[in-house]
Amino acid sequence: MFIDFFRAIRKIYISHNIVLWLVLLILPVVTSVFMVNFFSAEIIQHVPIGLLKQDRSQLADKVEMALRADPVLEVAVECNDRSECEHAVIRGDLQAFVVLPFDMERRALRLETPVIPVYSSGQNYLTNTFAVKEIRSVISSIGADLFTKQMDDPIHVELKSVSNNSGNYQGFLGLGLVTAIFHLAGILAAVYLFSFPFRDHRVREFLKAAGGSRVVLGAATVLPLVVIQWLSMVAVYAYARRALTPMTFDEFVVVSAGQLAMILACSGAGAAFVGITGNMRMSSSVAGVIAGPAFAFAGQTFPVMAMPLVVRGFAFLLPLTHVLKVQSAMLLGSVGKAHAWESIVVLLFMALFWHLLASKLLMLRWKVAEEKEADWEAREKLHLKDKLKNIAGTVYSDLSIRKAVASEIAKRKLHKGGAND
Amino acid sequence: MIDLFKRLFKVAFAEWKLFYTDPAAVLLLVVAGVLYAFYYPTPYMKQTATDVPVAVVDLDHTVMSRELTQMSAAAQQIDVRYVFSDVREAEEAMANEKIYGFMVIPQDMEKTLRNGGKTNVNVFTHGAYVMLHGNIGTAFTTCALTVGATTKVKRIALGKKVPAAKAIAMRDPIPISVQTMYNNTGSYSNYVVPSVLVLILQQTLVIGICILGGARAHRKFRKLQRDSSVENELMPYRYFGRSLAYFLHYCSFILFYHFVVYNVFEFPRRGEILPMVAFAIVFLFSVINFGMVLSQVFLRRETSMQLFLYMSIPILFLSNFSWPTELIPAWMKGFSCLLPSTFAIPAWLAIEQRGADIYDAASLLLPLAMQAVFYLLLGLVLTNLRDGSKLKTGDM
Repeated sequence: MFIDFFRAIRKIYISHNIVLWLVLLILPVVTSVFMVNFFSAEIIQHVPIGLLKQDRSQLADKVEMALRADPVLEVAVECNDRSECEHAVIRGDLQAFVVLPFDMERRALRLETPVIPVYSSGQNYLTNTFAVKEIRSVISSIGADLFTKQMDDPIHVELKSVSNNSGNYQGFLGLGLVTAIFHLAGILAAVYLFSFPFRDHRVREFLKAAGGSRVVLGAATVLPLVVIQWLSMVAVYAYARRALTPMTFDEFVVVSAGQLAMILACSGAGAAFVGITGNMRMSSSVAGVIAGPAFAFAGQTFPVMAMPLVVRGFAFLLPLTHVLKVQSAMLLGSVGKAHAWESIVVLLFMALFWHLLASKLLMLRWKVAEEKEADWEAREKLHLKDKLKNIAGTVYSDLSIRKAVASEIAKRKLHKGGAND
Repeated sequence: MIDLFKRLFKVAFAEWKLFYTDPAAVLLLVVAGVLYAFYYPTPYMKQTATDVPVAVVDLDHTVMSRELTQMSAAAQQIDVRYVFSDVREAEEAMANEKIYGFMVIPQDMEKTLRNGGKTNVNVFTHGAYVMLHGNIGTAFTTCALTVGATTKVKRIALGKKVPAAKAIAMRDPIPISVQTMYNNTGSYSNYVVPSVLVLILQQTLVIGICILGGARAHRKFRKLQRDSSVENELMPYRYFGRSLAYFLHYCSFILFYHFVVYNVFEFPRRGEILPMVAFAIVFLFSVINFGMVLSQVFLRRETSMQLFLYMSIPILFLSNFSWPTELIPAWMKGFSCLLPSTFAIPAWLAIEQRGADIYDAASLLLPLAMQAVFYLLLGLVLTNLRDGSKLKTGDM
């Protein structure tokens, strides 16, 4: 049985084309590492803003210098009029622009509180939040220096993101995206592995390699898939996580268990899609529709509680939602452990359900495909026999024609020779 | 001349018919474009996340701390579900996802403030949720700073012996007024979905072209029509005829998104006709030629789908829709120049969301036009090469 198992693994994984390895390992790892490195700047900086200086005073210069010195902002354009800045925002060259109005200093010193208009593009929600917050902070600190330099603010607010103090985007989004990519990979790779024997009409060949046992074939298909994807996911996750607070061994075990359960659930779902649709093209489409935008439904960017009820139900059915819960609970340290296990149990139930459904459907599909392939082979043999017969007939008639032609030529030669004589 | 158009339209019509008769093509070129446009925005139907469950840890138990709690409870973005007396309780609630953040009012806050001292208020948010971090942080910070501002005004008034109005002006002599343009409600769907719609158009079109084999002749999957005259027209007719079919088909999608999807989800429609038409022409030609180039690479129809599904997330982020281009590593920026979406998404946002006129749009459409020409030339060369090679594997 073990020999059959390993023979089937070799048949499926080793003697196959590059597409399998692209779908199974290369693309998930490469795209995940790509996304982690995409956020290598870690925090939002150098947001381009414009400045329209209508006031040419010391205070205006001070505000300008403070804006230029701020690491989050970058004064990219100093506009001559409002329309220049507006068009730059429309084109997307600027995120926001600040207008320092005429007589700003004079009016500020007279305590007439001249308002500084800040126009920002809300289209880019996140960058806008950062830019506006920073502009507000820079200008209010310059303003505070005017009359109350020695007087500190009585309440100082410190905003802390637990386990991600610096607001590192590799932590915020990078980790979630890595998981989302492997969520898609788990389903797609299972779809590919379970459907290509049907596509290439090689079910009999694979079953033969598995010693005729469908259980062995199923296990030989799914187990290496799970191991390869789980290990690569753990490795990429650890790489992405390096910028945040290091995990303890316990946390690592819980997160890895969650990821393993997710890969199990995803591979089961992929296999079940093949069982339902019966072909690679349809099952890939279904996998794409469900797993492609899964990250939008999983609640890490937009909270699940703010989604409509039906969408919340759909989000619950996605393994990604639960594994992200495990990962986010473990970001809080040991207090999140109990909650994380609840999500892992849900994932394991999902895995069980999908694998049972998949095995039931695939057993039937394999049986039907085996019979069909045998039938085709028999027909092909028959067809080949007929073909051979036809060829033999043609050759025979060809030979007899040749013989007849040759004897005719010989006759004519003889006749010609006789005439010459 | 008439014969030329006749042959071109014959090829285009035959290809267009295929969009509706080939099961794989129907799914990608007809169903996916419509389905995704409604399916993707549904999580964001409510547009903003309000009433996020939070807690206050009150270690002070004074009038001022209760005032701060009440003020927080009145904030629109958050919903103060619990008031704890211990930080640990709040941490547990956050781990159980009963709350997504909490504010800690320190012990003796009121006493310190009344004695002229200063105090720290800490706000903790869940490290995994980017959007909630901003919402909770803004709500709690505003409330705490308002209490702080009141105290500071009192101090200025008493210290400098000025009336309250003057003290208010002295505390913040140059207040700012933020005018948020193009998305003043802070809608998350308005931020994400328009960019994704362009990506949907690009991905479905490219995969669709790859699934139908681009401009190849003798496509194996066509079975009975493999050797028909339309299928094996001269290469330029095949290339441009099929491109025309894709172009007209996807023009209808752009109109559908503009008139239907934008209306249903209430996205702002500021697009003027001229820049919209220019965008449609340049964008579609760029993507079609890009697809024509890629379609020559694959041997099997479904391979493009499997590979491109992985690419969607990186392609979306490379288009500068959420992360400033200046912060992207240089090699990624270079790579992104090969993708039509890198230029198309900012152009679409400028035209449709921010109402860019043709002059503003021109600078954004120029790189797309250059891409279209580059891929056109490459596509013609590759198709010609492919026509000459006799590949036996695959179903294309």
